[in-house]
Amino acid sequence: MNSSIIRFVLGYVLKMEAVLMLLPCIVAVLYREQTGFAYLLVAAVSMAFGTLMTIKKPKSHVFYLKEGCVATALSWIFLSFFGALPFWISGEIPSLIDALFETVSGFTTTGSSILADVEALSHCALFWRSFTHWIGGMGVLVFLLAVIPLSGGSHINLMRAESPGPSVGKLVPKIKYTAQILYIIYFGMTIVEIVLLLISRMPAFDAITLSFGTAGTGGFGIKGDSLASYTALQQWIVTIFMILFGVNFNAYYLILFRKFKKALQMEEVRAYFAIIFVATAIITGSLVGGNMQFFDALRHAAFQVGSIITTTGYATVNFDAWSQTCRAILVLLMFVGACAGSTGGGIKVSRFIVMVKTMIKELNSYIHPKSVKKIKMDDKPIEHEVVRSINVYFITFMIIFVASVIAISFEGHDLVTNFTAIAATINNIGPGLSMVGPDCNFGFFSDFSKLVIIFDMLAGRLELFPLLILFHPAIWKELFTQKITMRRKKKF
Amino acid sequence: MFSFMNPGKSKPAKKGLKIIIVGCGKVGTTLVEQLSKEGHDIIIIDKNAKKVQEIANIYDIMGIVGNGASYSVQMDAGIEDTDLIISVTESDELNLLCCTVAKQVGDCAAIARVRTPDYSKEAGYLREKLGLAMIINPELEAAREAARILFLPSALEVNSFAHGQAELIKFAIPAGNILDGLQIAELRGKIETNILVCGVERDGEVHIPSGDFILQQGDVISVVASRKIAREFLSHIGFETKQVKNTMIIGGGKAAYYLAKNLLDVGIDVKIIESNKERCEELSILLPKAIIINGDGTDQELLREEGLPYVESFVPLTGIDEENILLTLHTRQVSKAKVITKINRINFKDVIAKLDLGSVIYPRYITSEAIIAYVRARQASLDSNIETLYHMFDHRVEAIEFRVYEESAVTNIPLKDLALKKDLLFCFINRNGAIILPNGQDSIQVGDTVMVVTTHTGFNDLRDILA
Repeated sequence: MNSSIIRFVLGYVLKMEAVLMLLPCIVAVLYREQTGFAYLLVAAVSMAFGTLMTIKKPKSHVFYLKEGCVATALSWIFLSFFGALPFWISGEIPSLIDALFETVSGFTTTGSSILADVEALSHCALFWRSFTHWIGGMGVLVFLLAVIPLSGGSHINLMRAESPGPSVGKLVPKIKYTAQILYIIYFGMTIVEIVLLLISRMPAFDAITLSFGTAGTGGFGIKGDSLASYTALQQWIVTIFMILFGVNFNAYYLILFRKFKKALQMEEVRAYFAIIFVATAIITGSLVGGNMQFFDALRHAAFQVGSIITTTGYATVNFDAWSQTCRAILVLLMFVGACAGSTGGGIKVSRFIVMVKTMIKELNSYIHPKSVKKIKMDDKPIEHEVVRSINVYFITFMIIFVASVIAISFEGHDLVTNFTAIAATINNIGPGLSMVGPDCNFGFFSDFSKLVIIFDMLAGRLELFPLLILFHPAIWKELFTQKITMRRKKKF
Repeated sequence: MFSFMNPGKSKPAKKGLKIIIVGCGKVGTTLVEQLSKEGHDIIIIDKNAKKVQEIANIYDIMGIVGNGASYSVQMDAGIEDTDLIISVTESDELNLLCCTVAKQVGDCAAIARVRTPDYSKEAGYLREKLGLAMIINPELEAAREAARILFLPSALEVNSFAHGQAELIKFAIPAGNILDGLQIAELRGKIETNILVCGVERDGEVHIPSGDFILQQGDVISVVASRKIAREFLSHIGFETKQVKNTMIIGGGKAAYYLAKNLLDVGIDVKIIESNKERCEELSILLPKAIIINGDGTDQELLREEGLPYVESFVPLTGIDEENILLTLHTRQVSKAKVITKINRINFKDVIAKLDLGSVIYPRYITSEAIIAYVRARQASLDSNIETLYHMFDHRVEAIEFRVYEESAVTNIPLKDLALKKDLLFCFINRNGAIILPNGQDSIQVGDTVMVVTTHTGFNDLRDILA
């Protein structure tokens, strides 16, 4: 395995994190907060590490799928570790595991917090928390691909390992421009949301942090009650943008190039909106039945549905107190997730479309056992390989899910808590139900359970396999033996 | 010193062209490899999803699965703003259809591969009527290259420049030759001919030699000279310069047909061994002067019976590279014939390079060189243009012939006063058909074609030679 290129990429990731960490420093200067020094210190340290790792140029730029996966998984681990240090050094989160939990939750755009009182945090900590969502949403390595001149074509393997969804296509022939276009759309939409929120008279700090959380489909709020205390208009703006960031970014690319017809024909996007519409309708009905005003019911229903299906995790009310129908629908939406190629998590709408179509095909084959039919999406046949990988993905997802629920159940909390805690973190949503409901937090779990949840968040964000491959003995063997042979060569 | 402030000298920003390549066969893949290296935006179209996936994994390009001749697939690939479409699928008809459709939809240049002899006679007509930029025929080009070598069998490789006026000849220096131990600067004094050594390969390293370079036995050298002088020079240093009298070709495919036709036209006897009876009959109609043998070309007994030990040249052109290589090695053991090996795939290039095969031709490279020359010419500015381009010594050296259209920073200045890049050599200036091997006093004039040999890659414009 080409370990030198992995080291090189990791070095670049650290350097980039150092630069990004200067932003909370600026916030600290604006609000005259002492905690800013912690960020400056960590920025300097990670810049030093990054520079050390990139001094030596890699011998070969060859990048196979395994290098892509390992580099991606390790990048996210490094990024989270260094990102957690400022919380710990500044003493705002005294336990290192807690700080790591909070940062992983940020970068993976989960939004689950261990903090009981968010409002006690300094502004720069709040900013960094929300900013990690924005960085993690589109992906760190995609950003790297957009800015650094790594030559060669095999870097699609980096993008493939990081981007959400069953298959990764390029928008334009060159990966660099693809990454740039994605970031331009992402950046542009974030700015539009900030401006709209400012127009609706939200304070600038709130508007910026909330927009970061929406764009990355993260979910860290800066108030204890998430979004409940904002006006109805502001909640509607956030609702709409949450849903928009859950759409496959290819659709925006098509719209940008005036191919409206094609954008409207994307099956996944249509299904995504259909699910949102149906879920909102049912929940609104149920809420109106519970004696809520129609427009309030619609607003809360749309917000919560948008928040959960895009895996953002903001809340305007404590939906844990809603009827069982509503709770059941929201938990199911957690698993559906957003569109592939968006910033959202979950299993993804496109995977469900394929799985449902496979099921229908199987049913048909009982009636016509010898019939031949290819599954199609967007009028294009889906290769058997893709169908197979989606099935395997689903099975693996379920195994990890079940194992995690069992792992944290030893602490004796009730099933709803355990089940939704894992569902909300492996799908990168944030709040669950019962003890981890929207007005509670994850602080009460033991360190072991927190580590399990950290693993689930990373696995969910990286779509399982890039992270799982780190546990494959062959990877370590290759990394290790290669170093030995290299040393031997130097001796001779 | 202030050259970067001078707008006349500043190069236009090189932006890659948008190129669609239809068909991911051998030539298609080679084109993707070469063109993506030169920084173009490439989209490939092929019906085979697996092939598209494989290539898209290796190179920084976009792949589309579908029929390249279909309007909707071409629209998917963005034909409207494409600069060039290259169609190199298996089928000639599909290639032509593909280019025709593309010409109707988008305003792009089109290159089609057409291999069947039925059409190749009408290539000029087709090209003009369908408005294509180029029709390429790798088999024909390979046959032409093989024929050029057979006309001058002591060379390993013969390429022609300036419409055949000048030749680039590659050969190995045998032990005890007059060139062994000779300094390049002494060359003109000792041998009174007007030639130029423009590249030397020694122990796997390629040098562009200066005057103090000393040649050794075993060096593979490339020499540029006008056609007539080249032969004089070779006979002067003791090489055979007569063309071969007869040749034996194994396999009766398209390349064999083209080669046989070329050779028969200049009076070389041709014997073709082909195993398919029907194809033999076809060939005997097409090539009445050739001897067509129906039999297995890999059968040693048959080869001996047909006089392999006494034949002057031998060209295995079966569709299987391994067979060609084995036949070559066998022939070099049993006879003194000049052997040319055609290699289609190149997966094990290092191994092939170590074998003593003599002359080797790679049809896919010949084609891709012509296309790359065209693409670079399209990118270039108006004051000069690429006429021909050859890769020498395994792609480490490029030989490029530029045509000079207008006055620019390199014209009318004595060559010794130009600030040139390192590892670069002027080989000749072709002025109205006269080949000048330039010295420092000569200068480039408008209307000349100039050949440059360099280890730099990616020259589009004659001005790229300046440091």
